[in-house]
Amino acid sequence: MTPVTSKVCVVGDFAVGKTSVVERFVTNQFSEKYLSTVGVKIDTKEIEFPALAVTHKLVIWDVAGSEKFGPAEMAYLRGASGYIFVADGTRPATLKAVERLQNQITEAYGLAPAVLLVNKRDLTADWDVSDERFDALTTNYGNAYRTSAKTGDDVERAIARLAELIIENDMRGK
Amino acid sequence: MDLPSHVVSKLQSEFLAETQPFCFLIDENYRLIDSWGSSDWCGLNGVEADEDMRGPAPFLVGIPITTPQKLDFIETPGRAIVTMHLIPDDSQCYVVLLDASKEHAYIQSKQQTVNELRLMQARQHKLIARQRDLISELVEAKSELDHHRREAERISANKSRFIAMMSHEFRTPLASIINYAELASEEGTSSNDIQKSIETISRSAKHLTSLVEVVLDDASLDAGQVELIERDFDLASLLDDMAAMMAPMAAEKGLSFAAAVDEDVPKTIYADEVRLRQILINLLGNAVKFTVEGGVKLMATYNDGRLVVTVSDTGPGISIEDQERVFQAFERGGGRGETGAGLGLTITLRLVELMHGEVSLDSMPGEGCTVSVHVPVMAADDGPTAAVPVLPLPSEDTIAAKPLSVLICDDDEDMVNLVEHYLHRSGYGLITTSDSSEAIAKTLKFDPDIVLMDCNVPGVGGVVAAKVLREQGYAKPIVALTASKLSDEQKSAFTRFFRKPAQMQELLTEIKRLTH
Repeated sequence: MTPVTSKVCVVGDFAVGKTSVVERFVTNQFSEKYLSTVGVKIDTKEIEFPALAVTHKLVIWDVAGSEKFGPAEMAYLRGASGYIFVADGTRPATLKAVERLQNQITEAYGLAPAVLLVNKRDLTADWDVSDERFDALTTNYGNAYRTSAKTGDDVERAIARLAELIIENDMRGK
Repeated sequence: MDLPSHVVSKLQSEFLAETQPFCFLIDENYRLIDSWGSSDWCGLNGVEADEDMRGPAPFLVGIPITTPQKLDFIETPGRAIVTMHLIPDDSQCYVVLLDASKEHAYIQSKQQTVNELRLMQARQHKLIARQRDLISELVEAKSELDHHRREAERISANKSRFIAMMSHEFRTPLASIINYAELASEEGTSSNDIQKSIETISRSAKHLTSLVEVVLDDASLDAGQVELIERDFDLASLLDDMAAMMAPMAAEKGLSFAAAVDEDVPKTIYADEVRLRQILINLLGNAVKFTVEGGVKLMATYNDGRLVVTVSDTGPGISIEDQERVFQAFERGGGRGETGAGLGLTITLRLVELMHGEVSLDSMPGEGCTVSVHVPVMAADDGPTAAVPVLPLPSEDTIAAKPLSVLICDDDEDMVNLVEHYLHRSGYGLITTSDSSEAIAKTLKFDPDIVLMDCNVPGVGGVVAAKVLREQGYAKPIVALTASKLSDEQKSAFTRFFRKPAQMQELLTEIKRLTH
């Protein structure tokens, strides 16, 4: 298996569940307690792609939530191979934040593989993203998922898809 | 000013104690060349020379080391909080890690409070929005409920008014029928009085029939059971009929009556003749009824596939506020003393809507009234359908061409007598029965040329009897003559279907046609 290492950044507004998504993906755990992230948290996890004979090590930068990045946050993103955008399905305004951040990143570093996670799908009573809106997001981002860090629904699938997109992007580059 | 060396030394020792710097030098491939300071606190102890530092320090992955950088508050996989300085030196780079855990803890605590407040605020906004939506829904539901309550009250009031009115409307002709029937059957009544009694009974019965018909019509329209039966018919003849019917009624009240038909109006059209006739009778009847002096005018025009029939009168007129009301059920114009069910205009409006047309009303108190009916109709190419005279007189059309027998099955003795009277007069031989089972036996025994069958009769019932006769091989016409409403499937058991009260002339003509 060929080892590949990539830096991916998790970005989105505050309290959308970015740290919980990473924790679910890396340690398969979830905590109900909200603990805001300051700066950036770094974790790693390997995913195997037997069909491609690749072991993909993701170095995940969980960046503090913000609706707009300043120079300090933009510096964290330097050298990223892909992005995990996270929004909160019970707060549609966080989708706007994702849109703003994506524009900022594209303007500074160019296009890169990305997936969108509309998180907290377990909160069905408060869910506020219609099917039509979600379909439009899928069209915009190419890869959008309704996820739950609490139940684990679609978290691994979404991040594995990003890992795959990064490999495909690298292969095209080579 | 230059700081004295002991001050510099003091600051340096404070800084070193606070930040516990760990420095290492890497080459352009991130391989360790050398290191300085303690690495215990940041989990990088045990690293060896020439080791790729991106393994133990994954935060170096993807980071370019050719430009100076400072990255604050990096939480390493070993959970150390560091501030990282990258200081390039030719192709090599110094990496300096400073312990930032104290400052991080302070900022995290502040940030946590701010974020929790913002979350609470977002939840509060959401709750307020939801509350606002619920209040709107509540107001809307209440308004709808009020509307339904008012509608129910209006319907209930209409129903009470209808019962009171119908009680009066039905009792008047019924009393007349009963009293004149008693008079006619009394001993010593002159033949002249008997004749007058019969005429009065006949007139009252016709009035009763018309009342029943409008009430049933309104109920059928309410239930959506009325279907248009469209065919080609002679419109000119229908308008002539209307004029012929209304002119004497107007003359009786001393009113003038005029009819004008535009030359563009097609002679023959494709529409429901019966319903159009009903609409015109309603409009013209009202105009004549409510006009005391002056006259009534009927006008017909045709433009772009739309027939416009206008009825104008010089009656008392209708105020703006009453104009909508007169189209509602059981509302009568003209005030006290006028008779009728108060359904004429309601039925007219509904029938016109069924024809995909519109009714317009133009009136002011004291200035008469003009009602226009606009209906889309197709001009037909074929010639007009022959009009059917109302009175059943024996004629070439109705007299039996050869000696023929008719079996009548009806449990209403009066109806049997009536049909028998007309059929005898037209030269038919008759077999009668009041039981449908007996009708089957008699039909199979005597093989009549045609069977007239009521449906709601004792025995197996008219529909079943017709089906049994067909199964038994009786192939001659079986005509339904009934007051019951039949489904299409039930109608298919019969050669032809007539609804009571049937036009005798039409029935006789059809019997002759079927037995020809």
